[in-house]
Amino acid sequence: MVSTKLYTAIYVVLFVSATVQVLVEFAGLSYWLAFGVIMVLSAAKAVLVAAYFQHLRFEPRSLTYLVGIGLVAALALTLAASYSLL
Amino acid sequence: MTDASPERDAAADGGHEVAHDDHGHDFPGTGSIKRWFVTTNHKDVGILYIVTSLFFLVLGGVLAWLMRIQLFAPRGLGEGILAPVAYNQAVSAHGLLMVFWFLSPFAFGFANYVVPLQLGAKDLAFPRLNALSYWLYLFSGILFGVSFFQGGTFSGGWTMYAPLNVPTFTPDVGASTAVLALVLFVASVTVSSVNFLTTMHRMRAEGLTLRNLPLFSWTILLTAWMMLFAFAALLAALLVLSSDRLLGTTYFAMESPAGALLWTHLFWFFGHPEVYIVFFPALGVMAEVFQTFTGRRIVGRKWFILAMVLVAIQSFAVWMHHMFLTSINLQVKTLFMITTIGISLPFDLMVFALIYTMLKGKIRFTTPFLFVFGALLLFIIGGITGVFLGAVVLDYEFRGTYWVVAHFHYVMVGGVTALVGGLYYWFPKMTGRMYDEFLGKLHFAVYFVGFNLLYFPLFVAWETPRRVFDYAPELAPWHQLATVGGFVLGLSFLIMFYNLFKSAFVGDPAPDNPWEYATTAEWAVSSPPPLENFDGTPTYRNGHLEFLDTGEVAPTEGRSDGPTGAAVSDGGVTASATTAVTADAELPTAEVTEVEGPSHASIWPFVLSAGAFLVLLGLSPLQDAAFPEGMVGAAYATTTVAGGVVTLGSLVAMGLEPFHGPVFEEGEAWPFAGIDNGKVGMWIFLASDVVLFGGFLGAYVFTRVAFGWTGWEPIPSDPIPGLVNTYILLTSSFTVVLALVAAEKKHKWGLVTSLGATFVLGIGFLVNKGLEWQHLFHEGLWLSTNVRASTFFLTTGLHAAHVIAGLVIALYLTARAWRGAYLEDSRSVEYFGLYWHFVDIVWLFLFPLFYIL
Ligand code: HEM
Ligand SMILES: [Cu+2]
Repeated sequence: MVSTKLYTAIYVVLFVSATVQVLVEFAGLSYWLAFGVIMVLSAAKAVLVAAYFQHLRFEPRSLTYLVGIGLVAALALTLAASYSLL
Repeated sequence: MTDASPERDAAADGGHEVAHDDHGHDFPGTGSIKRWFVTTNHKDVGILYIVTSLFFLVLGGVLAWLMRIQLFAPRGLGEGILAPVAYNQAVSAHGLLMVFWFLSPFAFGFANYVVPLQLGAKDLAFPRLNALSYWLYLFSGILFGVSFFQGGTFSGGWTMYAPLNVPTFTPDVGASTAVLALVLFVASVTVSSVNFLTTMHRMRAEGLTLRNLPLFSWTILLTAWMMLFAFAALLAALLVLSSDRLLGTTYFAMESPAGALLWTHLFWFFGHPEVYIVFFPALGVMAEVFQTFTGRRIVGRKWFILAMVLVAIQSFAVWMHHMFLTSINLQVKTLFMITTIGISLPFDLMVFALIYTMLKGKIRFTTPFLFVFGALLLFIIGGITGVFLGAVVLDYEFRGTYWVVAHFHYVMVGGVTALVGGLYYWFPKMTGRMYDEFLGKLHFAVYFVGFNLLYFPLFVAWETPRRVFDYAPELAPWHQLATVGGFVLGLSFLIMFYNLFKSAFVGDPAPDNPWEYATTAEWAVSSPPPLENFDGTPTYRNGHLEFLDTGEVAPTEGRSDGPTGAAVSDGGVTASATTAVTADAELPTAEVTEVEGPSHASIWPFVLSAGAFLVLLGLSPLQDAAFPEGMVGAAYATTTVAGGVVTLGSLVAMGLEPFHGPVFEEGEAWPFAGIDNGKVGMWIFLASDVVLFGGFLGAYVFTRVAFGWTGWEPIPSDPIPGLVNTYILLTSSFTVVLALVAAEKKHKWGLVTSLGATFVLGIGFLVNKGLEWQHLFHEGLWLSTNVRASTFFLTTGLHAAHVIAGLVIALYLTARAWRGAYLEDSRSVEYFGLYWHFVDIVWLFLFPLFYIL
């Protein structure tokens, strides 16, 4: 499936992007811009781990949907609850 | 699927020492007490569930009687038989016991018994986990019982609203115990959901597509999906509450921003799906019994199923209709009013489908039919009154009154009515004996009169405030009627208990199918069915049920009574083992070829649950993370430690125990065809864990929004320790990947080293975190300092608990690998990896949210 080399490359990318997240914080961007960049980086890392380390990319799509449903439920709760305060 | 791998716990690899001990050979008969402690058979577990749940029905019922006696007249403080706090405890415990410990487990007793038969499976995918679900359930109920004796049980209502749910207002130890009992109950439900979902998606007989699945199984499938996600949200709520009560965090405290509102969101996000979780199985029984006793397939079957699927999805989008009187904004109220009205439409469709079926068929008025027919009438009344409540303006009037009480008793106890019908319906199958039809009908008559006498007056006396025993004197006659009805309803069960108890021993022997026109598979086998359900392999290849027997096709009708229970435990192997072309043929592991046939006994689920019970009991008196002073505190602390040892020990024992899941040929497995049961189970579990962490993160985001997002500073002033931990976790994920690569290459030392490295890295993560926390404590920050600190410590603490659990497994795997395991079959390493990477992913979000943003 995936070679050890690719795994290693992904690991390096994850490592670097974690570092970048902290650098972004100190880069003096506006709060919400930094927020956006940092969360996008987190999401990207999560996708990489799920796709390759958990090899979801090579499994039937149904497993990805399954996790997606959980994610949608969690986001629905978070967003709707927070919105209800506004 | 033959070996231990269905027992998905990464611990249960089975390795290759195939111990040919006596599992299955000395499986005791149903007359033996031992049988009931060790059994993992789905039919036994089903019976255990049913019997236990009926016990909780009686307990909850007695509490209800106490309340109804108190309500016989409007009372002032100190009048009547119950003191004010005792009344509050009775109300709360009644609600919790009935909803959690009676209603759902009663339904799942049937699910356990019937669903594998309807699927054409020999058991659930993970029989030991199924037994574990039962024992966790029983022990959670016992724990709840204990709470009465620790100063008093929880008294804040079954909805456990904040801030009444924190020790400031409910200081008794028993109140904490009740919350912990619920935590244990949720553990049981989660294990059960994973098991049912894996089984129902993966183990259907050939030709039994979802479209053809019997309706009762359909409702259980949807119920299990709702349970998986809804109970994960409840678990989040309960863990936060436990932490507030035991550790001193301040999520729900009065002074926290929107603490009370946070609870309502978490609780009702679970709570609304929960009302369908308790109702759907009843709906399934209704559909099944209607079809049998009208002799007609349900009208619009496809649409009926579609409506149920819609309702199951929508049930997660209506929760705020329980919050119309809170401070949530008007737009969101309107939105949820619309979704609520929307959800009642599919229900209309289902009701009409049932009515049409009745009109088009030819009804036979047996006891099961009477009960489900009664249930339909009750549900219609309950549903219509619910629509009143769904309208914001009307709810302003009705909220907190007996209208609500009457509404949900009509729907929920309406559901019970259908389930009682189910009990009569499947009784002959389970016991092999017929019940007395006259007494059954008499039960129905008394029950139905009692029900309406009890609940209908509550609509009339709707102005009575909920959960209070004082009310306007002119309403007294209605309450007196209700009290009388309560006794009639309760006593009607005596008829049932007498009838069923007696019939179980001396009733007429039941044929395979005592009900003409019953078409589902459970009626094609003997009553009761043999231990492994079917002699041959069931198939629907030709559009109807047949049994394949080493090549030849035997029609259903030809089957005579199979050998009963115990006899098969030895002989059952022969037929099944030959047809055991397993789904894992591509994994020809040592044990597959040597398999002895499925196991049916394990004591460890029982022991494990007892251990968990002791742990939680021991923790119950904690306050601000400290045990009470003196002997009592020491005793509790000892209980915790002892429980911990038992729990861990039985986990290891369970991992080492050779246990063979049911043999099956992969038939219909949409949408998880070709994926191992163990892996499917793991992913389903992880999906629920996503919601658990979602609940925690949701609570954090919500509280932060209420506080003012940008005014909220991260607790650690320095993100570097967090960054270091990110590095450590990422590296440990990488070593887990390497471990799997090594295992697949049969590279023993590579495997051991990588697993060992993972373990060391995990320890490093915890040490680093410990140092960081130590530092924060020295700065004077503690869990209870403010809600900012509470969210930080608790959310990262939950994550750390996941790391610790992972490390226990990693240690186990390393030790096994050292002795040569996993080289032939690396699935355990793979499943552990899935979990570990998930824990890693969670951290990828916790780190920025709690350290830098
Ligand atoms: C036609 C569909 C239904 C609608 C529109 C509906 C609507 C509502 C609404 C708006 C409330 C909140 C009332 C309030 O607290 O002010 C409520 C409460 C409740 N409903 Fe329903 N409902 C429906 C069906 C059901 C079903 C099928 C069940 C369970 C089997 C159920 C169980 C409950 C329970 C337990 C409560 C009370 C919660 C509490 O303790 O506060 N409902 N319903
Ligand atoms: Cu609701």
